Amino acid sequence: MYLYLPVALTSINILIPVGLGLAVGLLSGLFGVGGGFLMTPLLIMFGIPSTVAAATDSNQIVAASTSGTYAHWRVGNVDFKMGLYLLIGGFAGGLVGVQAIKILKATGNADFVIKMTYVLLLGTVGTYMFIESLTSMKKSKAATAEVKPEKESAFAKALGKLPLQTRFEKSGVTHSLLLPIIFGGFVGVLGAIMGVGGGFLMVPIMVYILRMPMHVVVGTSLFQILFNCIEVTFLQAYTNHSVDFVLAVLLLLGSTVGAQVGAVFGRKLKGEQLKVILAGIVLAVTVKIIFDLTLSPSLLLGQGGGH
Amino acid sequence: MKKNKVKKAAIVLLALAVVVMGLAIIVDRASAELTAKANHDHITIDFFYHGSTVNVSGISDPDADLIIKIASPEAHETLKEKGKVGGFLWMNVATLKLEKVPNLYSVYSTKKIDEILSPQEMDKYVIGYPALGKHAEMSPVKDEADKARWFSEFIKFKENSKLYNISFGKIDLKGKDGKQEYTILTEWPYQAPPGDYLATVYAVKDGKVVEIAESKVSVEQVGIVKTLSNMAKNNGALYGFISIISALGAGFGVGLVFRKGGGAH
Repeated sequence: MYLYLPVALTSINILIPVGLGLAVGLLSGLFGVGGGFLMTPLLIMFGIPSTVAAATDSNQIVAASTSGTYAHWRVGNVDFKMGLYLLIGGFAGGLVGVQAIKILKATGNADFVIKMTYVLLLGTVGTYMFIESLTSMKKSKAATAEVKPEKESAFAKALGKLPLQTRFEKSGVTHSLLLPIIFGGFVGVLGAIMGVGGGFLMVPIMVYILRMPMHVVVGTSLFQILFNCIEVTFLQAYTNHSVDFVLAVLLLLGSTVGAQVGAVFGRKLKGEQLKVILAGIVLAVTVKIIFDLTLSPSLLLGQGGGH
Repeated sequence: MKKNKVKKAAIVLLALAVVVMGLAIIVDRASAELTAKANHDHITIDFFYHGSTVNVSGISDPDADLIIKIASPEAHETLKEKGKVGGFLWMNVATLKLEKVPNLYSVYSTKKIDEILSPQEMDKYVIGYPALGKHAEMSPVKDEADKARWFSEFIKFKENSKLYNISFGKIDLKGKDGKQEYTILTEWPYQAPPGDYLATVYAVKDGKVVEIAESKVSVEQVGIVKTLSNMAKNNGALYGFISIISALGAGFGVGLVFRKGGGAH
């Protein structure tokens, strides 16, 4: 059955957005990412204008991450304190990022810089996470001990010397308050420049720098994404009029259910297993973008927007 | 008296002759008069809209060929040009601005356009891609060759979205009492946005347009589609607020259903 989308001004078979929502929502509940890096290009592929695709996706993520946060919160996997500081940083970073993109655009080669940064970040993060999680999976097979005492790196020692140290109970870690604010800000800047939510960056930062347990990372990341996407949805609806309510509803029919299933399924997997699958997906997306960049396009003209 | 009678008779005869000649002209005109009617001139976009069909029909001179052009008013478009960076990476490299191009442009004809219409006439009535290309204003383009290259890319882009199309041989013709009835059923793409469109029928003889008839096609949103579309445009804050609240509600709702359903531990 087809439905007409009043803002996208096109008609779509309802099975497409519901199915896409289900798949991306599943990833969201499993890994704590918004999934914009998958959803936005897929929507564009199905004929949705790029500006509407990005804006509507953020509206949809509000629903999926509410559903996912709720599921993770019920089993005690959301660190609200950490999430709050990440949000403060992310909000400030977003403001800086919006200015940075203006400067970049003025230099004339914004597209090149943005695309290259995006590919390099995805590739590096994916590869690192993939290798690291594979190694730790092998290690945990060899050693029976669940928690292995690790030697503190010089980086970790330096972080420990920062002022305003505080205990994050849920995550079981002690850090300076500045740490989540700075890294939240960093992801906020990059997210605004690249036009993505940045979940794929936030998750590895929480795992490897903030040293939070993977299951708490997923819940906390969703909590943080929820508030980011509320802000983005409002701004998009208010300034660009590019949120398609009907499309968002179709997407969230799938994604809210997907997020619940993902959260349940995720509890059955080990942290390392989750990391290695997420790394695989991030690497697959990197390869796909590289293909898109190098293969001759069938059309040399297109609408603006997107990343 | 006699003279007067003769005079009167002559005047009556003359008047009769004028009337008969006039009638003859009118009858002749009627046989050649071109008419056009779009049967589906008011397309409504509701929730379940997935494109439509438009039937253009009328009466024409049996000796004339026909060209039917359906187009939206001329407007401007801004598109991104893709190009190679560093020799192998395809990305957006420039912005192309087009003026005086319709968003929708369909041309149907009885025979191939360039076989029935002279190039001058094509340009005059903006019929066919080459004529549209000359008519359109584009920037930035280096020279004519560059313009032609990007215009053909523009056509590809538009044909890909089903908004541009040129075809011949699809018009049905039927002879009747020395007149000709023509009709064509065209697919109306759902990609065409709401607005006013014009179907123009050109009767063509000896490479020249001899008659023109027009019929309007208007496309309008109705019901919920119209309400939502208007709200998104005119009341962005409220629209955004409703979108967010609905998403939050749906997320919580599904969360509660799953808890009750025992989907989790």
